[in-house]
Amino acid sequence: MKLDFPSREFDETVAGVCHGAASEEQMRALNELLRSNSSARDEYILRLELHSRLASEPDLFVSTVAEEQGAVRSGGFQPAILPISNLQPLTGSGGAEPPSIARRKRFLPWPQALAACLALLAAGWWGLRLSRPNERKGTTSKAVAMLDRAVDAQWNSRDEAPRLGAPLEPGWLRLKSGLAQLVFYSGARVVIEGPTELELISPGGAFCRNGRLTAEVPPQAKGFRVSSPQMKVTDLGTAFGLDVKERQTELHVFKGTVEFQPAASTAKQSLHEGAGAVADGSRPPRLIKANRAEFAPLFDLQDRSSVAEVLRHEQWRAASSRLDEDSSLLVHFDFEQADKSDWRLPNVSSGKNAAPDATIVGCQWVEGRWPDKHALEFRNVSDRVRLSVPGEFESLTLAAWVRVQGLDRQFNSLFMCDGFEIGTLHWLLRKDGVLGLTIVGPASGKHQIVGSSSVLTLDEFGMWMHLGVVLDGKAKLVTHYVNGVQVSGKPLKKNPPFRIGAAELGNWNASGFPDNDPSLIRNFSGAMDEFCLFSRALRADEIRALYSVGKPQPDPLSQNRN
Amino acid sequence: MASNSTGRFEDQAAAQQRFLSLFLRSEREIFRYVAALVPNVADAEDIVQQAALALWEKFDAYDPNQPFTPWACRFALNKAKQWFERHQRWQALLEGGLAEELAQRREELRPELDARLKHLEDCLNKLPEEQHSLVEGYYYRRETIEKLAASSGRNVAATYKTLQRIRQALQHCIEAAARPEGVVP
Repeated sequence: MKLDFPSREFDETVAGVCHGAASEEQMRALNELLRSNSSARDEYILRLELHSRLASEPDLFVSTVAEEQGAVRSGGFQPAILPISNLQPLTGSGGAEPPSIARRKRFLPWPQALAACLALLAAGWWGLRLSRPNERKGTTSKAVAMLDRAVDAQWNSRDEAPRLGAPLEPGWLRLKSGLAQLVFYSGARVVIEGPTELELISPGGAFCRNGRLTAEVPPQAKGFRVSSPQMKVTDLGTAFGLDVKERQTELHVFKGTVEFQPAASTAKQSLHEGAGAVADGSRPPRLIKANRAEFAPLFDLQDRSSVAEVLRHEQWRAASSRLDEDSSLLVHFDFEQADKSDWRLPNVSSGKNAAPDATIVGCQWVEGRWPDKHALEFRNVSDRVRLSVPGEFESLTLAAWVRVQGLDRQFNSLFMCDGFEIGTLHWLLRKDGVLGLTIVGPASGKHQIVGSSSVLTLDEFGMWMHLGVVLDGKAKLVTHYVNGVQVSGKPLKKNPPFRIGAAELGNWNASGFPDNDPSLIRNFSGAMDEFCLFSRALRADEIRALYSVGKPQPDPLSQNRN
Repeated sequence: MASNSTGRFEDQAAAQQRFLSLFLRSEREIFRYVAALVPNVADAEDIVQQAALALWEKFDAYDPNQPFTPWACRFALNKAKQWFERHQRWQALLEGGLAEELAQRREELRPELDARLKHLEDCLNKLPEEQHSLVEGYYYRRETIEKLAASSGRNVAATYKTLQRIRQALQHCIEAAARPEGVVP
């Protein structure tokens, strides 16, 4: 065999070499060509370089992966010091390993010394950096921290904006402005002030490329590490601040002791309360006095966030009272009554067709979307709110703010009319996370069940979310919404009129069906702090408006989008 | 490297950390150096890993005033040679001094390679979605060719072929972008 250049055979042989699939004959021919033809050799080098860059630069892919997966979860590699991951198998970090690694694991003889050295990898910091990019994809179980509080937080892009209470997986958080508090699963609490770029690495550590942060580290999180391009800081149970600029990092110790190591040196130094250090990468670090005032806004987060929450609650109240003027509003429960011993749940709608107040059976009063907002929690099989809505309707809209705790039953009731009366509705969450609306027909098997795709995942549990469904008898459409966004729209096959009659929030009265059938137990597990029922089909923008005035924190990018 | 017995453990740990930090910084470079000889990703990673072991064993002899990467690449070259002595096909590819020649020429071409490959990310982002996800599956998620073939509905040979075409398209794109007029088609 002889290879020419350029030729199709050359292209195929080079590709075969890259894939490890070329035959010995092809390789021999390639060897001859490359030794005699310098342009073939240069071309070969370029092709291999392209191939090896693709294989060794995860950053090339990270941005798109992040978009696909919605934000920070997929995170990213930091170029300069982050490796491809061939030491990873020895860290024992588990996860799905590509076959090449599994194979390597078996036959490599690892001398004691490097094994010991690699034990360091397993200790976390390096180990996690070594983890393969695909290990950071996927489910909640990879989360290392949660977003606990945010004030005026504007994130780099809409896709990156994490929601309050959201679990955060290893990866980048880019805060443009405002403040955000993260609680790492190790217990360490970090407040960042925008603009800050922080890479979450593990429950015990993060990397700050630039920006300002304070960290409070309780005893159980001792050893929490934050590094910057200029230094590594290991916390020994303290509070400290870090100011990372382009070429220098300032460390301020407010409480206890930290250990730090400038990037340019291998020596670790301890710093005590009141002291600080400046490292710029080249000279030995300079010692300074800790300056608490510089970090004042970060320490004020607690105060500022409660002010922001009160404000948000007020804005919702104002919008809420405007909403109550809507003549199509049959029911509006705002769960705001002062007297928690009262078993009545007032319908605050002032519409002329407003239904009577409802009755609370069981249930617990808990905190709602904001600390001073009330919510009803449904936990026991008997917990429910009973109401009655007279009349017949061509169209109906249901909307509620709920915090789902779990999907314990096959059908978890949000709002269900009693029994199976023709033309009535069952609005529910199915065990698999599907949002459903059943329009009851004349007989069993004749109901129309309109389900969304699975919209509720483990990630959403414990977080406030806005659910809505529009039953449009005129346009013949059933539309489900989650957080103001349409998640499904399907044709309505049943004809009006529709009815409510006697119904329940968070439970179901099977009314005449045997009590002991487990599929008839449909109690909701979670909390609700607002419920609306309209006698008309709300438009998509009206549903979105209900969501925007009620969402727990303001839209991070709203100022930018006008 | 230990000055006394009580300090030995700390010294050892510090040396390990120093080694790791140097090695990990250079690891991608070393990988690409090896991949210029043995481009098959899994094999190249094996070789880098063996080089890492050898480097750690000889770390005492490393002069911190010298750059780490070239020092490490010398070990990697040795390991690569040992490796293809045991793999006849690769021996056939790299015999007659071609391994050294490729390594040396690659070094000379470095500025040119860098000038072209800096456009790789842009070019990658211009790929149609299906192609992009195939490249991502192969290079980033390191999925097996069988799995990629199954999920794209092609057979294995066609999947290899598609990867080859995508690399070709990327190469055209980076070359166009690197031309003085700098226009990406």
